[in-house]
Amino acid sequence: MSKVIVAENLVKRYGPRLALRDVSFSIEEGEIVGLLGPNGSGKSSIFRILTGYLTPTAGTVTVAGNDVFRDSLALRRQVGYVHENAPLYDHMRVVEYLRFMAQIKGVKPRQVENAIASVIDRLRLDKVCDLLTTKLSRGYRQRVAIAQALLNDPQILVLDEPTSGLDPSQVVSIRDFILSLAGHHTVLIASHVLSEIEQIATRVMILLDGTLLTQDALKLHRATQELSIRVAGAENDVKALVSQIGGVQAIDTLQEGGDLRRYIVKAAWRPKLTEEIASTIVGNGFALSELTPITRGLEQIFLDLTNQAREVTA
Amino acid sequence: MRTFAVLWRREVAALFSSPIAYVVIAVFLFIMGYSFTLKLFITHSQTLVDLFFQMFVLILLTVPIITMRLVAEENKLGTLEVLLTSPVTEPQIILAKFAASLTLVTLMLGLSIIYAGVLELYGDPDWGPIFSGYLGLFLFATSLVGAGLFSSTLTNNQIIAAVLSLSLFLLLWIIDEVAALLPSPLNDVVLHLSLSGHFKPFATGSLYLSDVAFFLSAAFLTLFLSIRALSWR
Repeated sequence: MSKVIVAENLVKRYGPRLALRDVSFSIEEGEIVGLLGPNGSGKSSIFRILTGYLTPTAGTVTVAGNDVFRDSLALRRQVGYVHENAPLYDHMRVVEYLRFMAQIKGVKPRQVENAIASVIDRLRLDKVCDLLTTKLSRGYRQRVAIAQALLNDPQILVLDEPTSGLDPSQVVSIRDFILSLAGHHTVLIASHVLSEIEQIATRVMILLDGTLLTQDALKLHRATQELSIRVAGAENDVKALVSQIGGVQAIDTLQEGGDLRRYIVKAAWRPKLTEEIASTIVGNGFALSELTPITRGLEQIFLDLTNQAREVTA
Repeated sequence: MRTFAVLWRREVAALFSSPIAYVVIAVFLFIMGYSFTLKLFITHSQTLVDLFFQMFVLILLTVPIITMRLVAEENKLGTLEVLLTSPVTEPQIILAKFAASLTLVTLMLGLSIIYAGVLELYGDPDWGPIFSGYLGLFLFATSLVGAGLFSSTLTNNQIIAAVLSLSLFLLLWIIDEVAALLPSPLNDVVLHLSLSGHFKPFATGSLYLSDVAFFLSAAFLTLFLSIRALSWR
């Protein structure tokens, strides 16, 4: 896989305020990367730099091989951008707006109508394509904004809070659509809804006060796992048995209760570990009455990392 | 060129989708029609000189209304960001907005040619001053649209954009009256900035290259500044 976005030592300053501090990251082709961060953390600055709207104060950015300073126009041909508020021209009908955007994005005249038909079909806009954009619901406005970004089939899609203000069914439909883009486009998506990012993204970056805390929060999320098990049997025998399983780092007794005890197992993440622990315990004649994975959610990782960073700067 | 044409068409459609364009044209034609009729019946004069001075004032007052929304509105709504993240350049955007506004002003002037037609139908007007008058009004409008567009790039608020450009136009309209109070050579400099001073020769049938250059330079300067303002973000 080749790197389609490479940002090195990005700095963005608005007057005296430093919005980005030495931010470096890269994104590979076909990835869906989430960008998390509280309001004012610098997410929009990164997005605006990647889409050619802003230039960084210092640092370098290449998007699909195009330098943000030297090849801004070529860069913008490769990036589809969905603005947080889905701004549309009020005096236009949906199909007129899509035609206008296709034309300014350089879609060849003969292919304009096909490109419009394709995005109308993919985003299910057929019922609203003759409506004025002012008559659209929030969900449809968002879909039209995504549709315009796809018109010239860009290599990269940058989506700023694409589900904000949508009802749950609209959120699911937009999320499913973004998932369907995997493999065809490289997607960079910002969202405040951590659970949503967790479901969509293959990698999550966390940004705080203009500093990139991690390029892969999901890796941290998946690095270790904890399980709560409830087993009947001699404590030492149970501990010795579980400790032998590959990847298990520690087992602690959490709850005493006669012969039935609750243990917390800490292990390095690997697939099917839960099934292996269960079969080992049961296979050795112990009665397993409960096995519950304790996940350290993305939310917890986000809070831990942001708290750590704030403690360091305090 | 294709992108410019697409942008220009959208700007013209946006202008005519709001009532502003129709109101501006209607008010312009109503006042001009009233004035022309009154003048014709009272003086039986076969010139449009007085009408040109009235058009000068009306253009000065209406251009800020036409140009105030051009960039300010798009900036406020966020559509400018969508535009600038598409493969279009700042000069294309600015020139399309400029050309669309100038299209509306030219349409207003074009419709007023009917008064010259009436003079031709019932009399024998001298066409020289009529041509130079319209050329002067067009060049004058060109510089005003440029300045109005520039003020629209400076703010998100349409009203502030209109007030900024109107204040500038009014100042440059009456500036020659202030010039008499100033010491030399400052009075000469100020006198050369006067909009009415550069327009008068056109209205009376005289054509000076310096007046043409003044309006065209003002248009080029304000267009350049507008492009710079849009690029500076």
